[in-house]
Amino acid sequence: MAAPVVEAEASGRAASRPPARERKNAKFSVHFAHYKWLYLLLLPGVLYFAIFRYGPMYGVSIAFKDYVPFLGVNGSRWVGTQHFEDFFSNPDFPRLLGNTLILAFLNLGIAFPLTIVLALLLNEVRLSILKRTVQTLVYIPHFLSWTIVASLSFLLFALDIGPMFQFLNNVLGTNIDFLSDPAWFRPLIVLQEIWKNTGWGTIIFLAALATVDQDQYEAAIIDGAGRFRRVWHITLPGIRSTIIVMLILAIGQMLNTGFEQIYLMTNALNRDVADVFDTYVYFVGITQGAYSYSTAVGLFKSLVGLVLIFGTNWLAKRFNQSGLF
Amino acid sequence: MIRRKLTLAAAVVTISAISLTACSGGGNEPAADLTSVSIMAPFLEAQPPSADGAVQKKLEELTGKDININWTPNSSYEDKTNITLAGSDIPQIMVIQGKTPGFVKNAEAGAFWDLTDKLDKYPNLKTTFPDIQENASINGKVYGVYRGRAPMRAAVMFRQDWLDKLGLQAPKTTEDLYKVAKAFTEQDPDGNGQNDTWGITIPKWGALGTNSPYDLIEEWYGAGNRWTEKDGKLIPSFETDEFLEANRFVKKMVDEKLINPDFATFDGTKWNEPFFNGKGGIIVDVDSRVSVLVNLFKQADPNNFQNKVGFVGNLEGPDGELHAHPTDGYSGFLAVPKASVRTEAELDKVLEVLNTLNGKEVATLLNNGIEGVNFTVEDGKAATIKPETPEGKAVSTDIKSYAQLGMNVAGNNFYPVKQASDYEQQVFDKRTEVMAEDLKSAVYNPAAPYVSATYVAKGAQLDNIVADARIKYLAGQLDEQGLKDAIKLWDTSGGNKVKEEINKLWQDNK
Repeated sequence: MAAPVVEAEASGRAASRPPARERKNAKFSVHFAHYKWLYLLLLPGVLYFAIFRYGPMYGVSIAFKDYVPFLGVNGSRWVGTQHFEDFFSNPDFPRLLGNTLILAFLNLGIAFPLTIVLALLLNEVRLSILKRTVQTLVYIPHFLSWTIVASLSFLLFALDIGPMFQFLNNVLGTNIDFLSDPAWFRPLIVLQEIWKNTGWGTIIFLAALATVDQDQYEAAIIDGAGRFRRVWHITLPGIRSTIIVMLILAIGQMLNTGFEQIYLMTNALNRDVADVFDTYVYFVGITQGAYSYSTAVGLFKSLVGLVLIFGTNWLAKRFNQSGLF
Repeated sequence: MIRRKLTLAAAVVTISAISLTACSGGGNEPAADLTSVSIMAPFLEAQPPSADGAVQKKLEELTGKDININWTPNSSYEDKTNITLAGSDIPQIMVIQGKTPGFVKNAEAGAFWDLTDKLDKYPNLKTTFPDIQENASINGKVYGVYRGRAPMRAAVMFRQDWLDKLGLQAPKTTEDLYKVAKAFTEQDPDGNGQNDTWGITIPKWGALGTNSPYDLIEEWYGAGNRWTEKDGKLIPSFETDEFLEANRFVKKMVDEKLINPDFATFDGTKWNEPFFNGKGGIIVDVDSRVSVLVNLFKQADPNNFQNKVGFVGNLEGPDGELHAHPTDGYSGFLAVPKASVRTEAELDKVLEVLNTLNGKEVATLLNNGIEGVNFTVEDGKAATIKPETPEGKAVSTDIKSYAQLGMNVAGNNFYPVKQASDYEQQVFDKRTEVMAEDLKSAVYNPAAPYVSATYVAKGAQLDNIVADARIKYLAGQLDEQGLKDAIKLWDTSGGNKVKEEINKLWQDNK
């Protein structure tokens, strides 16, 4: 996410100091010469987007072609929307859409609020050394790769011998194979997501919490407000705009359900609930060489993501919050 | 200054746009002096061989060329192959691991040289097994020099010490397999007084037609090898009654806990562990695993490792006949992309290099190593020099990867390896003998040379329907009707078209 911020800053700076009244026929070159350093600041962001974001979009055209690498993007035959038709009429389509959305909303509905809760909890810790230690500890899982997280899960939940397998099945009085039972696939994925990324996600909220006006707390204490009252009436409203912005960003990323994580946890028995757009694109596109078809699938996923992000932004503005754009 | 900067920026953007469009090209040499050859090949070891190792030097000396091998991990080789073909830096020779959809599409679009009428001109590339070359072709068109593999490899391995303790005979039929597995599960073969063993260990290995334990048992039951002829037509083996019978048999073993309960998720790289640690007493896989297992026991106890591992070849089915399971006899091929080798004259040079690679000298180097450094020849066999010198060890390690370049289209052009001890030699000789005997009863895949267009487009997704249903049926998530429904779904989702196309190709080439 670093790059868009850079660009936003750069363009923000360029745009925030226009001359109060620019004469209509003032030449652009004069304007340009005047603000050349600001434009120079803008350049890296523009280049980044031109080269790494807009340039590759040229390749999206293969979603409408029958792409064969040897023939190249230009040499391949146009097939129109055939790949999209194939995909929408495929029995896999409703399943993929359902799985992706369910996982996305589970992550958003459970993991996202937990990040805020954890940030609030950390914020209430008075002992500085304890706070710092806990913060460091909860950041660590973020730096482990999904391969390691998946391996740990396999060790913990291994059939018959995994400690978590034994513990949970003893407590629940059941005999569930968590790794292959389709009903347990989603809980496991969300659990992994929480374990790995909740701590890391608190960073921005902690920064926002630090900006909340301390005087208000003192005033509230004098008025006799307890801790929960203070959190509810001062802290949360204080970081509301941060929460909204993070929510919109999270929704933009929502359909990126984490290819590695899901790919590693999938097996023949839970594939029905595990297949999402990302794994499907990999399976069909990379391993089977169906580039065009999988590009069409990926494009569709991006469109859904775009609709979601605009939708949330619109909703945020609707409820009198500042949107992202 | 700004203007110059902008021009530069524009240039950068333009150049990157051009490099995005240019999907061909790559380092190629003029035909007149082919001084170097680039090869893309997989490696299965933890590390690729070093670029300045003794084997590499010797290889360049024997071929008289700079050989640049791009070693790629085997686990992601297929992905990398597709990505390489879509990129701009294409090697002159590519090891292709099979007729994957990506390869077929590219080949049919003309990405690779058609070698059908060319190979016979090169003495070491002319195959003595035309059937296997046919199997490796795409509907009769040969796009690469195939890498020959022993076609008969299926074996059942079991803990010989357990078998002896329980007073059982080595299995001959699938029914025997059931009995041994049951005894291994229920009669405490390790004698520790606890019910902590099972019969057969099967890892996570679901895909159809990959010589998995399920595929082997189905073939032993008479379901055929991927495709089978019935009433004058070819049908996929999973549409036979024998397929269902075989899976009923496997399910019975799963239900009676004769198979490890985590067969759907068990990590294949740990396959030997339950066998070695005395948990699961049977493995159904390729016969080379016998030697791997023997070696495991030898490392643990060099004085007492004999009679731990027993094995037999293919098993007789319930019909009392032996339907032995062969592979297609090749493991991919070495293909020459047109993007990096532009003219016939260049192709000739590249094929000459392949011809040299297949000659006795280089084949010996790739498979045995360097004589006097890591092996000596004893009774026509390559014996590893003991004690191993660091140089010898380096060579022995490197050739495990270099063997990936071996084609051996006219049989093995190198020394058989002399086993480390008499016992291991006996095991090895018995393996050779059993496999040669089973080969006589081999049931081949009649559709091996044929590639159907629909199968290329969505075969893997189609096969996944049946493959997943098979595992779900075995795990009890589906009943037999569910499995049958999945097979029907295969038909209606495009399988009927695949059958039509395969049968047409088969009829046309009969």
